[in-house]
Amino acid sequence: MASARTSGLRRATDILILAATVAFAILWLLPIAWVVAMSLKPNADLMRSTAGFLPIPFTIENYTNLLGRETVPRWLMHSLIVSVAMTLAVLIVSSTAGYAFARLEFPFKRTLFLIMAAGLMVPEQAVFIPLHTMFSDWGLHNTHFALVMPRVAVPIGVFLMMQFFRSVPMELEEAAAIDYASRLTIFLKIMLPLSIPALTTLGLFTFIHAWNDFLWPLVSATRADMYTVTLGLASIQSNFAFTEGLGAVMASAVFASLPIVLLFLIFQRFIVAGVAMSAGK
Amino acid sequence: MQDLRTFRRLAVATALVTTMWTGAANAAEVSFFRFFGDCQNEYGNVTDIAKANGECGIITVLTNKFNAENTIGAKVVTQTVDWGAYYDQLTATYSTGNIPDVAVMHASVMPNFSNRDLLTPLGKPFAELGIDTSDFVPAALKNASSKDEIHALPYDLHALLFHVNIDLMKQAGLVNADGTPILPKSPEELLEQGKKFKEATGKNYIAVESQSSEGMMVRLFDSFMWQQGVDVISADGKTASINTPEGLNAAKLISSIYSDGLANAGLDYPGAEQAFLNGDAGILINGTWGVDNYNAQAAGGKAGLKNYGVANVPQIFAKPAVWADSHMWVVPKDDSRSPEETQAALAFLKFLNDNNFQWSRTGHLSVRKSVLESPEFKALPHRAEFADTSKDATALPAIQNQRAVYNAMITDFNAMWLTQTDPQAALDAMQAGVERVLRRNR
Repeated sequence: MASARTSGLRRATDILILAATVAFAILWLLPIAWVVAMSLKPNADLMRSTAGFLPIPFTIENYTNLLGRETVPRWLMHSLIVSVAMTLAVLIVSSTAGYAFARLEFPFKRTLFLIMAAGLMVPEQAVFIPLHTMFSDWGLHNTHFALVMPRVAVPIGVFLMMQFFRSVPMELEEAAAIDYASRLTIFLKIMLPLSIPALTTLGLFTFIHAWNDFLWPLVSATRADMYTVTLGLASIQSNFAFTEGLGAVMASAVFASLPIVLLFLIFQRFIVAGVAMSAGK
Repeated sequence: MQDLRTFRRLAVATALVTTMWTGAANAAEVSFFRFFGDCQNEYGNVTDIAKANGECGIITVLTNKFNAENTIGAKVVTQTVDWGAYYDQLTATYSTGNIPDVAVMHASVMPNFSNRDLLTPLGKPFAELGIDTSDFVPAALKNASSKDEIHALPYDLHALLFHVNIDLMKQAGLVNADGTPILPKSPEELLEQGKKFKEATGKNYIAVESQSSEGMMVRLFDSFMWQQGVDVISADGKTASINTPEGLNAAKLISSIYSDGLANAGLDYPGAEQAFLNGDAGILINGTWGVDNYNAQAAGGKAGLKNYGVANVPQIFAKPAVWADSHMWVVPKDDSRSPEETQAALAFLKFLNDNNFQWSRTGHLSVRKSVLESPEFKALPHRAEFADTSKDATALPAIQNQRAVYNAMITDFNAMWLTQTDPQAALDAMQAGVERVLRRNR
């Protein structure tokens, strides 16, 4: 009797949790559905009303106008180069620095750790001007290098990897050391494969951040032939895009987010594992 | 002998190729930096200006036309930039090394560049090109000048207007026999007419952007201050006269528009336009740039707005005045620019000036007296209804950080209706905020 009551209670709780999850999911999806609906409506109609989740009247003109541009593939190429390069660089720097802080002993380790931690307290905007001046003096603006390098040192990435490596039992490394594995071999052949979920999470967030970055490319990639997707989409909007060209703006938003959505769909298993692992700590 | 002949042929071929290459390099490219959007899909190959509409369409076709018709081999290459981030990116080009040859600039922003000697003086080039500066409306020429030198080609005047739903005004008994709207001539009349309108139609008298950072009501505040003979900022840019009896008159009037229920404080820019186009408000306070669009919407038959009219911002106080700004074309200074590129850039400016009427089809007012007085301008829809705007147009003085002054006013002024802040308290905050900005200029 008691177990039937417990089982009933559990089922009721499960149903409640499911209902709440579905409700939140709908709440989250509604704005996206609205954006997609507006992207499929004529601009002139949207000027009078933005209400409604159904694209009536329907048009694909906002997408054909966008995709018909010769410049779109170039924007995509630049965004891809910058995002992939930045992601790889962040993964390399964060994993090696995180492992060093987690496992190695070296001179000034504590000082370097504090300097790195201090980087978390400095907002990006505070270093914007000196960073821009530095790259101007080097003549490096309007290059992929300038778009990637300022974003490679990511303290939070180092923290994430450091925390992960600390959670790996020392016995694994000791066993490898007994078999005469070098530190580099241990890192490359044991630690890195184990850290794939954490690396995937870090990599995905870095890629999204790089893909969506607008402010730094705005002032560094000032030549039209170096525009990334975010700059390119912004540049084609008219002065009053949110009144006279709202459909086009929404189509741009949908288009810019498609690669990220695709990435999430492919790697969602790793993301969930990475988030769960971080939460477990 | 054979070798000599071969060598001669090679030498001639090399000379020919070099000449062709030099010839090709001599076709000067003009990098053209602007907002207004990118409409290459629609107008990419169009050179017939009659087919162009809207800011983007008209400037794109004018550019195509210049490229097709100029005889000096100049080619204008357009780089469009997001409006909101335009000045950040333009400033960045001075340090990233790709300074444009021609760029658009608001008159309100020009002092930030001209005061730092970042713009090419254009007085002498205009004289050489035959651009008659006496044809410009005095206010526009003043806006384009700094330190007794012309730094820009004025291109338009855009000012606040009252866009009117004539049908709703008729329903409220606020239309003259000739079909023009009856507009207030005093603060008391404004509130009375507003109440009369609301009782008769059940709708808001006024729709205006009240939630976002456009600051439309700050522009109306500035207009009311000038109407009372007070300069919001002194001509030398050293003092602000916001916290004054005149400021309180203007602030109280605008605050009452909301507290009396004559306007919806929850509307942002698109929301205010939607309310007007859907027939939910009698008057939309917005700029000249909306005229063609609203006319097209009313004529299209789908909007609630059927009978569209335009009027100058009425003279509510002692004298007529209305906030205005200008679009202008500048030539940013660049020591690496060649004489050919400079010549091409100036030729493009001359062409734009010669086609100023085409730009006025957007709804912006022309800055050339000859265009304003021309039959073709007067024949444009609704232009006659706000023909006096350029006479009453007033701008804040050309001081550095003028935009910062404007932004400093918006937050504190909007608090009157967003958080029911007392008008005097709002003025105190505005005065303090503006003075902080002006201190940076000293």
